[in-house]
Amino acid sequence: MTQALIAKTKLADLVSFLALCGKVVGPVPLGHGQFKFAEVRSLAEMALDYIPTILPPKKYFMPQYETLLRYDGADGQQMQAVVEVEELVLFGVHTCDLAGIQCLNVVFSDRPRDLHYMIRKNHITLIGLECSDYCDSYASCAMLRNHLPKGGYDLFFSELSDGYFVDIKTQKGEQLVEESGLFEPVSDAAREQLQELRRAKKQIFRSEVPIRYQDIPRLFDETFDSDVWTRIGEKCLSCGNCTNVCPTCYCFDVMDEPDLDLTRGRRIRVWDSCQHETFAKVAGDESFREQRSDRKRHRFNRKFRYPMKRYKRMFCTGCGRCSRSCMAKIDLKETLGALMEERG
Amino acid sequence: MMERPKVAFFDLSCCEGCQLQVANLGEELLDVLGLIDLVEFREVMSETWEGRYDVAIVEGSVVNEESEQRLREIRRRSDLLIAYGSCATIGGVNGMKNRKPLPEVQQEVYGERADWFPTDRTRPLHQLVKVDYFIHGCPIHPQEFIKVLKSALAGLPYQVPDYAVCVECKFNENVCLYDKGVTCLGPVTRAGCNAWCVNNGNVCYGCRGLVSNPNRAGAEEVLREHGLDAGLIANKMLMYNAAMEPCDE
Ligand code: SF4
Ligand code: SF4
Ligand code: SF4
Ligand code: SF4
Ligand code: SF4
Repeated sequence: MTQALIAKTKLADLVSFLALCGKVVGPVPLGHGQFKFAEVRSLAEMALDYIPTILPPKKYFMPQYETLLRYDGADGQQMQAVVEVEELVLFGVHTCDLAGIQCLNVVFSDRPRDLHYMIRKNHITLIGLECSDYCDSYASCAMLRNHLPKGGYDLFFSELSDGYFVDIKTQKGEQLVEESGLFEPVSDAAREQLQELRRAKKQIFRSEVPIRYQDIPRLFDETFDSDVWTRIGEKCLSCGNCTNVCPTCYCFDVMDEPDLDLTRGRRIRVWDSCQHETFAKVAGDESFREQRSDRKRHRFNRKFRYPMKRYKRMFCTGCGRCSRSCMAKIDLKETLGALMEERG
Repeated sequence: MMERPKVAFFDLSCCEGCQLQVANLGEELLDVLGLIDLVEFREVMSETWEGRYDVAIVEGSVVNEESEQRLREIRRRSDLLIAYGSCATIGGVNGMKNRKPLPEVQQEVYGERADWFPTDRTRPLHQLVKVDYFIHGCPIHPQEFIKVLKSALAGLPYQVPDYAVCVECKFNENVCLYDKGVTCLGPVTRAGCNAWCVNNGNVCYGCRGLVSNPNRAGAEEVLREHGLDAGLIANKMLMYNAAMEPCDE
Protein backbone atom coordinates (compact mmCIF):
# COMPACT_ATOMS: atom_id res chain seq x y z
CA MET A 1 0.00 0.00 0.00
CA THR A 2 1.48 3.36 -0.96
CA GLN A 3 -1.63 5.42 -0.33
CA ALA A 4 -4.41 5.33 2.21
CA LEU A 5 -7.33 7.26 3.57
CA ILE A 6 -8.18 8.31 7.07
CA ALA A 7 -11.56 9.69 8.11
CA LYS A 8 -11.52 13.08 9.87
CA THR A 9 -13.36 11.45 12.76
CA LYS A 10 -10.37 9.16 13.28
CA LEU A 11 -7.67 11.84 13.28
CA ALA A 12 -7.92 12.36 17.04
CA ASP A 13 -7.45 8.63 17.57
CA LEU A 14 -4.39 8.69 15.35
CA VAL A 15 -2.77 11.46 17.40
CA SER A 16 -3.57 9.59 20.63
CA PHE A 17 -2.12 6.42 19.12
CA LEU A 18 1.09 8.25 18.18
CA ALA A 19 1.29 9.83 21.63
CA LEU A 20 1.08 6.38 23.19
CA CYS A 21 4.07 5.26 21.15
CA GLY A 22 6.30 8.26 21.95
CA LYS A 23 6.69 12.00 21.84
CA VAL A 24 4.48 13.80 19.33
CA VAL A 25 5.14 17.35 18.25
CA GLY A 26 2.67 19.52 16.35
CA PRO A 27 1.69 23.14 15.66
CA VAL A 28 0.29 24.77 18.80
CA PRO A 29 -1.32 28.24 18.91
CA LEU A 30 0.43 30.93 20.96
CA GLY A 31 -2.18 33.64 20.49
CA HIS A 32 -1.72 36.82 18.39
CA GLY A 33 -1.92 34.65 15.28
CA GLN A 34 1.37 32.89 16.08
CA PHE A 35 2.25 29.22 16.44
CA LYS A 36 5.08 26.99 17.52
CA PHE A 37 5.91 23.33 17.28
CA ALA A 38 5.55 21.82 20.74
CA GLU A 39 4.79 18.49 22.35
CA VAL A 40 1.13 17.49 22.17
CA ARG A 41 -0.86 14.58 23.56
CA SER A 42 -4.05 15.10 21.58
CA LEU A 43 -5.42 16.56 18.37
CA ALA A 44 -7.33 19.20 20.36
CA GLU A 45 -4.07 20.88 21.45
CA MET A 46 -3.04 21.50 17.86
CA ALA A 47 -4.13 24.05 15.27
CA LEU A 48 -3.78 22.35 11.89
CA ASP A 49 -4.81 25.55 10.16
CA TYR A 50 -1.66 27.46 11.05
CA ILE A 51 0.76 29.93 9.51
CA PRO A 52 4.45 28.92 9.68
CA THR A 53 5.56 28.54 13.29
CA ILE A 54 7.94 31.10 14.86
CA LEU A 55 10.83 28.62 14.65
CA PRO A 56 10.79 26.00 11.92
CA PRO A 57 11.12 22.28 12.69
CA LYS A 58 14.89 22.62 12.33
CA LYS A 59 14.98 23.08 16.10
CA TYR A 60 14.37 19.34 16.44
CA PHE A 61 17.12 18.41 13.99
CA MET A 62 19.63 20.95 15.22
CA PRO A 63 18.67 22.33 18.63
CA GLN A 64 19.44 25.94 19.59
CA TYR A 65 21.91 24.65 22.19
CA GLU A 66 23.29 21.20 21.46
CA THR A 67 25.85 19.21 23.46
CA LEU A 68 28.47 17.77 21.11
CA LEU A 69 30.72 16.18 23.69
CA ARG A 70 31.52 15.99 27.36
CA TYR A 71 35.09 16.47 28.52
CA ASP A 72 36.92 15.56 31.68
CA GLY A 73 40.30 17.09 32.35
CA ALA A 74 40.91 15.38 35.71
CA ASP A 75 43.23 12.76 34.23
CA GLY A 76 44.61 13.91 30.93
CA GLN A 77 41.99 15.21 28.56
CA GLN A 78 39.16 12.74 28.08
CA MET A 79 36.37 13.43 25.65
CA GLN A 80 33.17 11.58 25.02
CA ALA A 81 30.98 12.38 22.04
CA VAL A 82 27.36 12.87 23.01
CA VAL A 83 24.27 12.78 20.81
CA GLU A 84 21.16 13.83 22.66
CA VAL A 85 18.43 11.99 20.77
CA GLU A 86 14.82 11.20 21.37
CA GLU A 87 12.26 9.42 19.28
CA LEU A 88 9.92 12.05 17.81
CA VAL A 89 6.95 12.27 15.50
CA LEU A 90 6.51 15.67 13.84
CA PHE A 91 2.87 16.02 12.93
CA GLY A 92 1.40 18.46 10.40
CA VAL A 93 4.56 19.75 8.70
CA HIS A 94 3.80 21.93 5.67
CA THR A 95 5.54 21.41 2.34
CA CYS A 96 7.71 24.52 2.76
CA ASP A 97 9.09 23.12 6.01
CA LEU A 98 9.59 19.66 4.52
CA ALA A 99 11.66 21.40 1.86
CA GLY A 100 13.63 23.15 4.61
CA ILE A 101 14.48 19.84 6.23
CA GLN A 102 15.55 18.47 2.85
CA CYS A 103 17.97 21.39 2.50
CA LEU A 104 19.45 20.67 5.91
CA ASN A 105 19.77 16.99 5.00
CA VAL A 106 21.78 17.93 1.94
CA VAL A 107 24.12 20.22 3.84
CA PHE A 108 24.74 18.01 6.83
CA SER A 109 25.40 14.93 4.73
CA ASP A 110 27.93 16.85 2.63
CA ARG A 111 31.51 16.18 3.69
CA PRO A 112 32.50 16.35 6.47
CA ARG A 113 29.24 14.66 7.41
CA ASP A 114 27.63 15.91 10.57
CA LEU A 115 27.04 12.76 12.58
CA HIS A 116 25.08 14.52 15.29
CA TYR A 117 22.58 15.69 12.72
CA MET A 118 22.50 12.39 10.83
CA ILE A 119 21.88 10.32 13.94
CA ARG A 120 19.17 12.58 15.29
CA LYS A 121 17.40 12.74 11.95
CA ASN A 122 16.98 8.95 11.97
CA HIS A 123 14.89 9.20 15.10
CA ILE A 124 12.38 11.65 13.68
CA THR A 125 9.23 10.60 11.86
CA LEU A 126 7.75 13.24 9.58
CA ILE A 127 4.06 13.55 8.89
CA GLY A 128 3.35 16.26 6.33
CA LEU A 129 0.21 18.28 5.80
CA GLU A 130 -0.73 19.95 2.54
CA CYS A 131 -1.82 23.59 2.41
CA SER A 132 -4.99 23.97 0.36
CA ASP A 133 -4.62 27.73 0.41
CA TYR A 134 -1.99 30.35 1.28
CA CYS A 135 -1.03 30.66 4.95
CA ASP A 136 -0.66 34.46 4.56
CA SER A 137 0.65 37.07 2.18
CA TYR A 138 4.32 36.67 3.17
CA ALA A 139 4.51 33.20 1.61
CA SER A 140 6.34 32.66 -1.66
CA CYS A 141 6.28 28.88 -1.78
CA ALA A 142 4.96 28.74 -5.33
CA MET A 143 7.83 30.84 -6.71
CA LEU A 144 10.16 28.32 -5.07
CA ARG A 145 8.08 25.31 -6.12
CA ASN A 146 7.39 24.19 -2.59
CA HIS A 147 3.61 24.49 -2.46
CA LEU A 148 3.27 20.88 -3.60
CA PRO A 149 4.73 17.81 -1.87
CA LYS A 150 8.14 16.76 -3.16
CA GLY A 151 8.94 13.94 -0.75
CA GLY A 152 10.97 14.18 2.41
CA TYR A 153 8.22 12.72 4.61
CA ASP A 154 7.11 9.38 5.97
CA LEU A 155 3.42 10.17 5.59
CA PHE A 156 1.74 13.09 3.86
CA PHE A 157 -1.83 14.22 4.51
CA SER A 158 -4.01 16.16 2.06
CA GLU A 159 -7.37 17.31 3.27
CA LEU A 160 -10.51 16.04 1.49
CA SER A 161 -14.11 16.77 2.41
CA ASP A 162 -14.43 14.26 5.22
CA GLY A 163 -11.03 12.68 5.43
CA TYR A 164 -7.36 12.93 4.49
CA PHE A 165 -5.66 11.43 1.51
CA VAL A 166 -2.45 9.91 2.81
CA ASP A 167 0.67 9.37 0.75
CA ILE A 168 2.93 6.71 2.26
CA LYS A 169 6.57 7.26 1.43
CA THR A 170 8.60 5.06 3.74
CA GLN A 171 8.53 1.79 5.56
CA LYS A 172 8.25 3.68 8.81
CA GLY A 173 5.13 5.37 7.45
CA GLU A 174 3.69 2.10 6.27
CA GLN A 175 4.22 0.57 9.68
CA LEU A 176 2.33 3.42 11.35
CA VAL A 177 -0.56 3.00 8.97
CA GLU A 178 -0.74 -0.73 9.60
CA GLU A 179 -0.23 -0.73 13.35
CA SER A 180 -2.70 2.03 14.11
CA GLY A 181 -5.49 0.21 12.27
CA LEU A 182 -7.18 3.56 11.59
CA PHE A 183 -6.65 3.83 7.85
CA GLU A 184 -8.59 2.43 4.92
CA PRO A 185 -7.80 1.87 1.26
CA VAL A 186 -8.23 4.82 -1.11
CA SER A 187 -11.39 5.05 -3.15
CA ASP A 188 -11.80 6.45 -6.65
CA ALA A 189 -13.84 9.27 -5.19
CA ALA A 190 -10.94 10.20 -2.90
CA ARG A 191 -8.50 10.13 -5.78
CA GLU A 192 -10.81 12.43 -7.75
CA GLN A 193 -11.05 14.80 -4.77
CA LEU A 194 -7.27 14.99 -4.46
CA GLN A 195 -7.01 15.88 -8.13
CA GLU A 196 -9.64 18.54 -7.62
CA LEU A 197 -7.64 19.96 -4.70
CA ARG A 198 -4.52 20.14 -6.85
CA ARG A 199 -6.45 21.75 -9.71
CA ALA A 200 -7.77 24.40 -7.35
CA LYS A 201 -4.26 25.00 -6.03
CA LYS A 202 -3.04 25.66 -9.55
CA GLN A 203 -5.40 28.62 -9.65
CA ILE A 204 -4.51 29.86 -6.17
CA PHE A 205 -0.75 29.36 -6.11
CA ARG A 206 1.10 31.41 -8.74
CA SER A 207 4.68 32.59 -8.59
CA GLU A 208 4.37 35.39 -6.04
CA VAL A 209 7.07 37.47 -7.72
CA PRO A 210 7.02 37.71 -11.50
CA ILE A 211 10.19 35.71 -12.05
CA ARG A 212 10.86 32.13 -13.07
CA TYR A 213 12.65 29.83 -10.63
CA GLN A 214 15.56 29.21 -12.98
CA ASP A 215 16.12 32.94 -13.51
CA ILE A 216 16.49 33.83 -9.83
CA PRO A 217 20.22 33.11 -9.40
CA ARG A 218 21.08 35.35 -12.33
CA LEU A 219 19.08 38.18 -10.77
CA PHE A 220 21.37 38.09 -7.76
CA ASP A 221 24.41 37.73 -9.91
CA GLU A 222 23.56 40.88 -11.80
CA THR A 223 22.53 42.99 -8.83
CA PHE A 224 25.56 42.41 -6.63
CA ASP A 225 26.43 46.11 -6.69
CA SER A 226 22.86 47.33 -6.52
CA ASP A 227 21.77 50.28 -4.38
CA VAL A 228 19.02 48.06 -3.00
CA TRP A 229 21.60 46.53 -0.64
CA THR A 230 22.61 49.93 0.67
CA ARG A 231 19.00 50.84 1.28
CA ILE A 232 18.09 47.70 3.19
CA GLY A 233 21.44 47.85 4.99
CA GLU A 234 20.41 51.21 6.41
CA LYS A 235 17.18 49.77 7.76
CA CYS A 236 18.48 46.45 9.09
CA LEU A 237 18.97 46.24 12.87
CA SER A 238 21.14 43.09 12.73
CA CYS A 239 18.71 41.48 15.15
CA GLY A 240 19.25 38.07 13.55
CA ASN A 241 15.56 37.22 13.46
CA CYS A 242 15.62 36.48 9.72
CA THR A 243 18.30 33.82 10.07
CA ASN A 244 17.13 32.30 13.34
CA VAL A 245 13.65 31.68 11.99
CA CYS A 246 14.83 30.48 8.57
CA PRO A 247 14.32 26.74 8.04
CA THR A 248 17.51 26.48 5.98
CA CYS A 249 19.97 28.57 8.04
CA TYR A 250 22.36 26.30 9.85
CA CYS A 251 25.34 28.39 10.99
CA PHE A 252 26.59 27.75 14.48
CA ASP A 253 29.24 28.65 17.02
CA VAL A 254 30.96 26.09 19.25
CA MET A 255 32.00 26.76 22.84
CA ASP A 256 33.04 24.99 26.00
CA GLU A 257 31.03 25.24 29.18
CA PRO A 258 32.84 24.06 32.30
CA ASP A 259 30.90 22.39 35.10
CA LEU A 260 31.18 23.94 38.54
CA ASP A 261 34.12 21.68 39.44
CA LEU A 262 35.97 23.36 36.54
CA THR A 263 37.60 20.10 35.40
CA ARG A 264 34.63 18.61 33.61
CA GLY A 265 32.29 20.27 31.19
CA ARG A 266 30.58 20.10 27.85
CA ARG A 267 31.22 21.40 24.38
CA ILE A 268 28.09 22.90 22.92
CA ARG A 269 27.05 24.34 19.62
CA VAL A 270 24.75 27.32 19.47
CA TRP A 271 22.97 28.83 16.48
CA ASP A 272 24.87 31.75 15.04
CA SER A 273 24.00 34.19 12.29
CA CYS A 274 25.73 35.94 9.39
CA GLN A 275 23.71 39.02 10.36
CA HIS A 276 25.71 39.48 13.57
CA GLU A 277 28.67 41.78 13.37
CA THR A 278 30.87 39.27 15.19
CA PHE A 279 30.18 36.49 12.69
CA ALA A 280 32.53 37.57 9.93
CA LYS A 281 35.23 38.89 12.26
CA VAL A 282 38.62 37.23 12.14
CA ALA A 283 41.94 37.70 13.89
CA GLY A 284 43.09 41.30 14.17
CA ASP A 285 39.48 42.48 14.26
CA GLU A 286 39.22 42.32 10.47
CA SER A 287 35.74 41.70 9.15
CA PHE A 288 34.74 40.22 5.81
CA ARG A 289 31.35 41.86 5.91
CA GLU A 290 31.59 44.91 8.05
CA GLN A 291 28.59 46.77 6.66
CA ARG A 292 25.02 45.73 7.31
CA SER A 293 24.44 46.01 3.56
CA ASP A 294 27.20 43.43 2.95
CA ARG A 295 25.62 41.10 5.46
CA LYS A 296 22.14 41.44 4.01
CA ARG A 297 23.41 40.84 0.49
CA HIS A 298 25.26 37.80 1.75
CA ARG A 299 22.12 36.33 3.28
CA PHE A 300 20.14 36.68 0.07
CA ASN A 301 22.95 35.29 -2.06
CA ARG A 302 23.24 32.40 0.38
CA LYS A 303 19.58 31.58 -0.23
CA PHE A 304 19.25 32.10 -3.98
CA ARG A 305 22.61 31.94 -5.67
CA TYR A 306 25.53 30.22 -3.92
CA PRO A 307 23.75 26.93 -3.01
CA MET A 308 22.47 26.67 -6.59
CA LYS A 309 26.08 26.30 -7.67
CA ARG A 310 26.98 23.80 -5.01
CA TYR A 311 23.81 21.81 -4.43
CA LYS A 312 21.63 22.58 -7.45
CA ARG A 313 18.84 23.85 -5.25
CA MET A 314 17.80 27.09 -3.66
CA PHE A 315 17.95 27.45 0.08
CA CYS A 316 14.77 29.46 0.34
CA THR A 317 11.60 27.51 0.85
CA GLY A 318 9.29 30.50 0.52
CA CYS A 319 7.96 30.07 4.05
CA GLY A 320 7.96 33.85 4.58
CA ARG A 321 9.29 33.66 8.14
CA CYS A 322 12.12 36.15 7.57
CA SER A 323 9.71 38.82 6.36
CA ARG A 324 7.19 38.06 9.09
CA SER A 325 9.74 38.46 11.87
CA CYS A 326 11.94 41.26 10.52
CA MET A 327 12.16 44.14 13.01
CA ALA A 328 12.86 46.56 10.16
CA LYS A 329 10.14 45.19 7.87
CA ILE A 330 12.62 44.10 5.23
CA ASP A 331 10.50 41.89 3.01
CA LEU A 332 11.81 39.09 0.82
CA LYS A 333 9.30 39.49 -1.97
CA GLU A 334 9.70 43.27 -1.99
CA THR A 335 13.48 42.91 -2.07
CA LEU A 336 13.29 40.64 -5.10
CA GLY A 337 10.89 43.09 -6.72
CA ALA A 338 13.24 46.01 -6.03
CA LEU A 339 16.18 44.12 -7.51
CA MET A 340 14.19 43.27 -10.63
CA GLU A 341 13.11 46.85 -11.00
CA GLU A 342 16.62 48.13 -10.64
CA ARG A 343 18.00 45.63 -13.14
CA GLY A 344 15.28 46.65 -15.54
CA MET B 1 43.13 20.05 48.37
CA MET B 2 44.19 23.30 46.78
CA GLU B 3 43.32 26.44 48.65
CA ARG B 4 40.04 27.85 47.43
CA PRO B 5 40.16 31.26 45.76
CA LYS B 6 39.34 34.21 47.97
CA VAL B 7 36.32 36.01 46.63
CA ALA B 8 34.79 39.23 47.92
CA PHE B 9 31.71 41.26 47.00
CA PHE B 10 31.61 45.05 47.21
CA ASP B 11 28.99 47.64 46.49
CA LEU B 12 29.32 51.23 45.32
CA SER B 13 26.26 53.29 44.30
CA CYS B 14 23.46 50.88 43.59
CA CYS B 15 20.40 49.26 45.09
CA GLU B 16 22.27 46.03 45.96
CA GLY B 17 19.63 44.06 44.11
CA CYS B 18 22.28 42.25 42.10
CA GLN B 19 23.94 40.94 45.24
CA LEU B 20 20.55 39.69 46.37
CA GLN B 21 20.39 37.70 43.16
CA VAL B 22 23.38 35.71 44.40
CA ALA B 23 21.91 35.24 47.83
CA ASN B 24 18.80 33.96 46.04
CA LEU B 25 20.65 31.37 43.96
CA GLY B 26 19.23 28.62 46.14
CA GLU B 27 20.78 25.20 45.82
CA GLU B 28 23.36 26.36 43.31
CA LEU B 29 24.63 28.84 45.90
CA LEU B 30 25.87 25.88 47.95
CA ASP B 31 27.81 24.58 44.94
CA VAL B 32 29.30 28.01 44.35
CA LEU B 33 30.25 28.33 48.00
CA GLY B 34 31.94 24.94 47.81
CA LEU B 35 34.13 26.30 45.06
CA ILE B 36 35.28 29.56 46.64
CA ASP B 37 36.31 31.04 49.95
CA LEU B 38 33.93 33.93 50.44
CA VAL B 39 35.80 36.48 52.49
CA GLU B 40 33.58 39.56 52.26
CA PHE B 41 29.93 39.91 51.32
CA ARG B 42 28.05 42.51 53.34
CA GLU B 43 24.70 41.23 52.12
CA VAL B 44 25.10 37.85 53.85
CA MET B 45 28.01 38.04 56.33
CA SER B 46 29.71 40.49 58.68
CA GLU B 47 33.36 39.36 58.42
CA THR B 48 35.94 41.38 56.49
CA TRP B 49 39.32 40.41 55.09
CA GLU B 50 42.65 42.19 55.21
CA GLY B 51 44.62 40.22 52.62
CA ARG B 52 44.59 39.90 48.84
CA TYR B 53 41.51 38.93 46.86
CA ASP B 54 41.68 36.48 44.00
CA VAL B 55 38.42 37.82 42.67
CA ALA B 56 36.66 41.04 43.62
CA ILE B 57 33.08 41.36 42.46
CA VAL B 58 32.05 45.00 42.45
CA GLU B 59 28.50 46.23 42.19
CA GLY B 60 27.40 49.83 41.66
CA SER B 61 28.78 52.82 39.84
CA VAL B 62 31.19 55.54 40.86
CA VAL B 63 29.38 58.78 41.68
CA ASN B 64 31.75 60.61 44.02
CA GLU B 65 35.36 61.00 45.10
CA GLU B 66 34.97 58.58 47.99
CA SER B 67 33.71 55.70 45.86
CA GLU B 68 36.44 56.35 43.32
CA GLN B 69 39.10 55.92 46.05
CA ARG B 70 37.39 52.81 47.28
CA LEU B 71 37.28 51.26 43.82
CA ARG B 72 40.98 52.00 43.22
CA GLU B 73 41.83 50.38 46.56
CA ILE B 74 39.80 47.25 45.70
CA ARG B 75 41.48 47.04 42.30
CA ARG B 76 44.92 47.34 43.95
CA ARG B 77 44.16 44.41 46.22
CA SER B 78 42.51 42.08 43.66
CA ASP B 79 43.92 39.79 41.02
CA LEU B 80 40.69 39.82 39.05
CA LEU B 81 37.93 42.37 39.08
CA ILE B 82 34.41 41.64 37.92
CA ALA B 83 32.04 44.53 37.20
CA TYR B 84 28.74 43.26 38.44
CA GLY B 85 25.35 44.59 37.40
CA SER B 86 24.38 47.44 35.07
CA CYS B 87 25.46 50.21 37.46
CA ALA B 88 28.97 48.80 37.44
CA THR B 89 29.15 47.81 33.76
CA ILE B 90 27.45 50.72 32.01
CA GLY B 91 26.47 53.18 34.74
CA GLY B 92 22.89 51.97 34.64
CA VAL B 93 19.99 53.94 36.06
CA ASN B 94 22.46 56.07 38.05
CA GLY B 95 23.60 57.44 34.72
CA MET B 96 20.43 59.49 34.48
CA LYS B 97 22.10 62.22 36.45
CA ASN B 98 24.61 62.71 33.62
CA ARG B 99 21.80 64.05 31.48
CA LYS B 100 21.64 67.31 33.46
CA PRO B 101 24.28 69.73 34.79
CA LEU B 102 25.59 68.46 38.16
CA PRO B 103 24.54 71.49 40.27
CA GLU B 104 21.00 71.13 38.98
CA VAL B 105 20.89 67.46 39.93
CA GLN B 106 22.35 68.17 43.37
CA GLN B 107 19.80 70.88 43.93
CA GLU B 108 16.95 68.62 42.87
CA VAL B 109 17.91 65.85 45.28
CA TYR B 110 19.41 67.64 48.29
CA GLY B 111 17.89 71.10 48.03
CA GLU B 112 19.48 73.57 50.45
CA ARG B 113 21.91 70.98 51.74
CA ALA B 114 23.38 70.31 48.29
CA ASP B 115 26.81 71.47 49.46
CA TRP B 116 26.94 68.77 52.13
CA PHE B 117 26.96 66.00 49.51
CA PRO B 118 29.72 66.44 46.97
CA THR B 119 28.99 64.43 43.87
CA ASP B 120 30.44 63.57 40.44
CA ARG B 121 29.01 62.39 37.17
CA THR B 122 28.16 58.70 37.16
CA ARG B 123 30.86 56.43 35.78
CA PRO B 124 30.89 52.68 35.22
CA LEU B 125 33.96 50.90 36.59
CA HIS B 126 35.89 50.43 33.35
CA GLN B 127 36.07 54.18 32.89
CA LEU B 128 38.31 54.28 35.99
CA VAL B 129 40.06 50.93 36.46
CA LYS B 130 40.76 47.79 34.46
CA VAL B 131 37.82 45.40 34.47
CA ASP B 132 38.48 41.73 33.72
CA TYR B 133 34.91 40.48 33.40
CA PHE B 134 31.55 42.11 32.84
CA ILE B 135 28.25 40.77 34.17
CA HIS B 136 25.59 43.02 32.71
CA GLY B 137 21.99 43.27 33.79
CA CYS B 138 19.60 45.00 36.17
CA PRO B 139 19.52 42.75 37.98
CA ILE B 140 22.16 40.31 36.77
CA HIS B 141 20.90 37.03 35.35
CA PRO B 142 21.89 34.34 37.87
CA GLN B 143 22.90 31.79 35.24
CA GLU B 144 25.21 34.28 33.57
CA PHE B 145 26.78 35.07 36.94
CA ILE B 146 27.63 31.39 37.38
CA LYS B 147 29.00 31.20 33.85
CA VAL B 148 31.25 34.21 34.36
CA LEU B 149 32.42 33.08 37.79
CA LYS B 150 33.38 29.69 36.34
CA SER B 151 35.25 31.39 33.50
CA ALA B 152 37.10 33.66 35.92
CA LEU B 153 38.08 30.80 38.21
CA ALA B 154 39.11 28.58 35.30
CA GLY B 155 41.12 31.41 33.73
CA LEU B 156 38.98 31.38 30.58
CA PRO B 157 37.64 34.45 28.80
CA TYR B 158 33.91 35.14 28.92
CA GLN B 159 32.62 36.66 25.75
CA VAL B 160 29.58 38.85 26.48
CA PRO B 161 27.34 38.31 23.45
CA ASP B 162 27.51 41.25 21.07
CA TYR B 163 24.22 40.56 19.37
CA ALA B 164 20.64 41.51 20.16
CA VAL B 165 18.29 40.19 22.85
CA CYS B 166 16.00 39.27 19.91
CA VAL B 167 18.30 36.33 19.23
CA GLU B 168 17.64 34.67 22.56
CA CYS B 169 14.02 35.80 22.41
CA LYS B 170 13.63 33.90 19.13
CA PHE B 171 15.43 30.86 20.58
CA ASN B 172 12.65 30.83 23.18
CA GLU B 173 9.91 31.32 20.58
CA ASN B 174 8.20 34.23 22.28
CA VAL B 175 5.52 36.08 20.35
CA CYS B 176 7.34 39.30 19.46
CA LEU B 177 6.06 42.20 21.56
CA TYR B 178 5.84 44.37 18.45
CA ASP B 179 3.21 41.90 17.21
CA LYS B 180 1.32 42.57 20.44
CA GLY B 181 1.49 46.31 19.80
CA VAL B 182 4.14 46.92 22.46
CA THR B 183 7.61 48.39 21.90
CA CYS B 184 10.71 46.62 23.12
CA LEU B 185 14.43 47.48 23.21
CA GLY B 186 15.48 43.91 22.39
CA PRO B 187 16.71 44.69 18.85
CA VAL B 188 19.46 47.05 20.07
CA THR B 189 20.21 45.56 23.49
CA ARG B 190 23.06 43.17 24.17
CA ALA B 191 21.98 39.57 24.73
CA GLY B 192 23.15 37.23 27.48
CA CYS B 193 20.10 37.24 29.76
CA ASN B 194 18.26 34.62 27.66
CA ALA B 195 15.57 37.28 26.99
CA TRP B 196 14.62 36.98 30.63
CA CYS B 197 12.04 39.79 30.70
CA VAL B 198 10.28 38.86 27.48
CA ASN B 199 10.10 35.21 28.53
CA ASN B 200 8.25 36.42 31.60
CA GLY B 201 5.78 38.65 29.82
CA ASN B 202 7.68 41.90 30.13
CA VAL B 203 9.35 44.18 27.59
CA CYS B 204 13.12 44.50 27.28
CA TYR B 205 14.18 47.76 28.95
CA GLY B 206 17.72 47.62 27.61
CA CYS B 207 19.31 47.01 31.00
CA ARG B 208 22.37 45.26 29.57
CA GLY B 209 23.32 48.22 27.45
CA LEU B 210 23.36 48.64 23.70
CA VAL B 211 25.17 46.25 21.38
CA SER B 212 28.55 47.72 20.45
CA ASN B 213 27.37 49.02 17.08
CA PRO B 214 23.62 49.52 17.22
CA ASN B 215 21.76 50.81 14.18
CA ARG B 216 20.41 53.81 16.05
CA ALA B 217 18.74 55.45 13.11
CA GLY B 218 17.11 52.18 12.11
CA ALA B 219 15.92 51.48 15.63
CA GLU B 220 14.53 54.98 16.03
CA GLU B 221 12.71 54.52 12.74
CA VAL B 222 11.13 51.29 14.01
CA LEU B 223 10.10 52.97 17.28
CA ARG B 224 8.75 55.97 15.42
CA GLU B 225 6.66 53.72 13.21
CA HIS B 226 5.18 52.41 16.42
CA GLY B 227 4.05 55.84 17.41
CA LEU B 228 6.80 57.00 19.78
CA ASP B 229 8.06 60.57 19.52
CA ALA B 230 11.72 61.52 19.65
CA GLY B 231 11.71 62.42 23.35
CA LEU B 232 10.19 59.14 24.39
CA ILE B 233 12.61 57.22 22.19
CA ALA B 234 15.57 59.00 23.80
CA ASN B 235 14.18 58.31 27.26
CA LYS B 236 13.81 54.64 26.50
CA MET B 237 17.28 54.33 25.06
CA LEU B 238 18.97 56.38 27.79
CA MET B 239 17.30 54.87 30.84
CA TYR B 240 20.31 52.58 31.28
CA ASN B 241 22.80 54.01 28.83
CA ALA B 242 23.23 57.67 29.78
CA ALA B 243 26.60 57.16 31.47
CA MET B 244 28.30 55.58 28.48
CA GLU B 245 31.20 57.58 27.21
CA PRO B 246 30.50 59.13 23.82
CA CYS B 247 33.20 56.83 22.43
CA ASP B 248 31.34 53.81 23.78
CA GLU B 249 28.27 54.63 21.76
S1 SF4 C 1 4.48 29.08 2.69
FE1 SF4 C 1 3.19 27.84 1.33
S2 SF4 C 1 3.59 25.73 1.97
FE2 SF4 C 1 4.35 27.06 3.59
S3 SF4 C 1 2.67 27.22 5.02
FE3 SF4 C 1 2.47 28.95 3.63
S4 SF4 C 1 1.12 28.23 2.02
FE4 SF4 C 1 1.84 26.43 3.12
S1 SF4 D 1 14.79 33.09 3.41
FE1 SF4 D 1 12.87 33.65 4.42
S2 SF4 D 1 11.26 32.82 3.13
FE2 SF4 D 1 13.18 31.84 2.51
S3 SF4 D 1 13.25 29.97 3.73
FE3 SF4 D 1 14.35 31.51 4.91
S4 SF4 D 1 12.83 32.38 6.26
FE4 SF4 D 1 11.72 31.26 4.68
S1 SF4 E 1 15.33 40.36 10.73
FE1 SF4 E 1 15.42 42.26 9.58
S2 SF4 E 1 16.37 43.73 10.95
FE2 SF4 E 1 16.78 41.70 11.78
S3 SF4 E 1 18.77 41.12 10.93
FE3 SF4 E 1 17.21 40.31 9.57
S4 SF4 E 1 16.93 41.87 8.01
FE4 SF4 E 1 18.00 42.83 9.71
S1 SF4 F 1 9.92 40.80 21.83
FE1 SF4 F 1 11.62 42.23 21.88
S2 SF4 F 1 13.43 40.93 22.08
FE2 SF4 F 1 11.76 39.63 21.42
S3 SF4 F 1 11.94 39.57 19.19
FE3 SF4 F 1 10.48 41.19 19.71
S4 SF4 F 1 11.74 43.04 19.79
FE4 SF4 F 1 13.14 41.30 19.90
S1 SF4 G 1 15.34 41.34 28.60
FE1 SF4 G 1 16.26 43.36 28.45
S2 SF4 G 1 15.69 44.41 30.34
FE2 SF4 G 1 15.32 42.23 30.65
S3 SF4 G 1 17.19 41.44 31.57
FE3 SF4 G 1 17.39 41.15 29.39
S4 SF4 G 1 18.45 43.00 28.67
FE4 SF4 G 1 17.64 43.44 30.70
